[in-house]
Amino acid sequence: MESISEKHVLNGRNQIFLIVILTICTFALALFSMGLGSSSQLDMFSTMNIIFDKDQFSCLFSFGTLGGSSTFPCNQDLQSQIVWNLRFPRIMMGMITGVALSTAGALMQGCLGNPLVSPLTLGVASGAALGAAFAIVLNLSFIPVPELAIVANAFLFSLIVVAIIIQLGNMRSVSAESYILVGIAITFIAGAIVSTMQYFATDAQLSQLAHWSFGSLSRPDLGNTIWIGLAILWILPTVFKWAWDLNTLSLGGDEFAISTGVEPVSTRRNILIISALMTSIVISFTGLIGFVGLAAPHMSRLLIGNDYRKLIPCSAVFGAFLVVFADTMGRTLFAPIVIPVGIMLSIIGGPFFMYLLLQNRGHAH
Amino acid sequence: MIGKHQSRNMSNVLRVNNLCFSWGEIPVLENIEFSCKWGELIAILGVNGAGKSTLLKCMNKILQPQTGNIEIESKNIDDFSILELSKSISYVPQSVMTNFSMDVFDVVLLGRRPHISWRISDADRDKVSKTLQLFDLEDFAFRRFDRLSGGERQRVIVAKAVAQNPSLFLFDEPTSDLDLKNQIEVMKRIRHLVDDKNERKSALVAVHDINLACRFADRILLLHEGKVKAFDTPESVLNEQNIAEVFGVTSTILSATDESPMRVLVGDEIKFNAASIIKQEE
Repeated sequence: MESISEKHVLNGRNQIFLIVILTICTFALALFSMGLGSSSQLDMFSTMNIIFDKDQFSCLFSFGTLGGSSTFPCNQDLQSQIVWNLRFPRIMMGMITGVALSTAGALMQGCLGNPLVSPLTLGVASGAALGAAFAIVLNLSFIPVPELAIVANAFLFSLIVVAIIIQLGNMRSVSAESYILVGIAITFIAGAIVSTMQYFATDAQLSQLAHWSFGSLSRPDLGNTIWIGLAILWILPTVFKWAWDLNTLSLGGDEFAISTGVEPVSTRRNILIISALMTSIVISFTGLIGFVGLAAPHMSRLLIGNDYRKLIPCSAVFGAFLVVFADTMGRTLFAPIVIPVGIMLSIIGGPFFMYLLLQNRGHAH
Repeated sequence: MIGKHQSRNMSNVLRVNNLCFSWGEIPVLENIEFSCKWGELIAILGVNGAGKSTLLKCMNKILQPQTGNIEIESKNIDDFSILELSKSISYVPQSVMTNFSMDVFDVVLLGRRPHISWRISDADRDKVSKTLQLFDLEDFAFRRFDRLSGGERQRVIVAKAVAQNPSLFLFDEPTSDLDLKNQIEVMKRIRHLVDDKNERKSALVAVHDINLACRFADRILLLHEGKVKAFDTPESVLNEQNIAEVFGVTSTILSATDESPMRVLVGDEIKFNAASIIKQEE
C-alpha cells in the first residue's frame, strides 16, 4: 500500500523533471537560434552577452520601445541591432505562439473530449482570415493606421467568433459536438466569403492575402511581441485552475464530470472562451499557424500522460520548442530563402499527425 | 444477508417525493416516491427502458426532473452546488469511454477531486491505495485505464466512487460487464461498504439480475412503465405475479433457507403477453 503511493509520488517527480529538461532545451534552442542567420553567426555565449546586457534592459522598458518606436537598442553596433531588432522578437514571438496555441489546443481537446480538435477547429482562425481579407481586399478596417489595419481586423473578426462561442455556451445543455459543428460551419462560411473576395481581388491583393495565410513570425516588432507576451502571460495562470476539471471532463465526459463535482457546461464554455482568446491574440499577428496546436499537445500526452496539471505546462513548453525549431529550420535550411513557419510546421506536423492516426486505429475504443 | 440494515438515529439519507421526468412529451418517470435509510442497500429492478438510469441521474443533477423534490441528508438537492453534491453522492455510470486515458491510480484519484483544490495530500494517496486494495486493483495501479478489459474498467470506476467517500452511492448496473465471480465480488464489496458501522453509507443499485438483487438488497424498488410497482423487502416484492407483470416471464420462487438466500427461477416468456411487452420496450 505504501509502495503504490510512493510510486505515484515518484512518477509525478519524473514528469516534472521531464518538463524542466524540456524547458531548458527550449531556452537553449532559442539562444542557439538567435545566433544563427545569414548576416552574422554567433555562438550561444555571445548571444547571451547581447541579450543579458544590463544597459539594454533599462532601454528596453522605456516608453519608446513599448510604444513601437525603433530607437532600440541603445547600443548601436550591428550585432546588437540584428539580434535585438530581428532575431529576438522573431524567436520570442515563436515561443509565445507555441505556448499560446499548444495550451489552447490541449485545453480544447480536453474540454471537448476529442483528440482531433486544434485551436483552428472553432473557426477563430477563419474569422481572423476573413478580417484580414476585408482589410487587404476591400480596404475596410476598424483602425485606419495602415500598419495595424490587418492585425486589428483579424483580431476583431476573430472576437466575433469568440462572441458566437459565448452565445452558444449560454444555451442550455450545449454538447461538445455542437461546438465542433458550429466551428466547422463558421470555417465554411468565412472561407466562402474570403474566396468571393479573392475572386474579385487584384494580383497584388491576392499575393498579400496568400502571404498572410502562410503564417509568419517576422511581422510583429519588438514592441508588439512584448505586448502579446504580456497578454498571454496574463491569461495563462487562470488556465491552471481548470486542471482537475479537465482531467475529469477529458477522462469520462459530462456525466462522469457531474458525479465528480464538475459542472461541465459552464466549465467547457469558460475554457473555450479563454482558449479562443489566446488563439486570436496570436493568430491576428502571425497569420495562420495551426498545426502546433494539434501536434504539441499530442506529443506531450505521449511524453507525460493526460494529467492536465502537468500536461498544460508540458504542452506550452513543447509548443514553444516546436515553433522555434520549425522557424529556425525555415530560415536556415534554404538560406537566404526564408520559408514561413506555418508551412514548416505543417511539413513537420503533417506526417506526425498521420502517424498518430495510424497508431490509434488499433485501439480506438 | 437479508434484513440486516441497521436502524440509525437520523431517519433517511434520501427521500424522493412526487418525482416526474419526461423527455419532451414522452413521460419516463411518474410520481416516484421512495426513501432510503442510512446503511441501506436498495436494488432498482425493471425492464429496459423502465427508467432505472433516468431515476439515478435525476438524483445526481445529471438530469433535471420536471416536478418533485429530492432530499439528500434532509436537504433539498436544489440547495446543493454540483461540487457540494458530489461530496454526498457519487453516481457510477455503466461504462466510461475515453479518448484521453490515464493510469488506474490517477482515475481513482479523480474521486478525491471534490475534496482537493490543487495539491494531492498523502491522505488522498492513502485513500486511493486503500481503495485499490479493497478492489484487488493494486497490480493495475500503473496500467492505463483504456487498456483494461470492460470488467476491469468497471471495477476501477466503482473504486473511484468509493474513493470519493460519499454518503450515498448510485450504481447504474455495476455488474453488467462482469463475469459471474466478479459480479458477486463487486456486490459483496458494495454490501460491505453499506454494512460498515464506522461509516454512514447507503447505495441504490440498478441491476438486471433478480437473484443478485434478492441476495444483496435490503429492499427492492420495482419500476414498471415509469411508476413504482412495488417497494419493499425482496420477499414481498418478488412474487410470481409481480415478475410476470413486469418482466413478462413465468417464475418459481424458492424461499430463503439457512444456507441460501431466496432465489427466483425464471421460466418461459409469457406468450400471450408478448405483444404488450414489445410495445412497452418501444
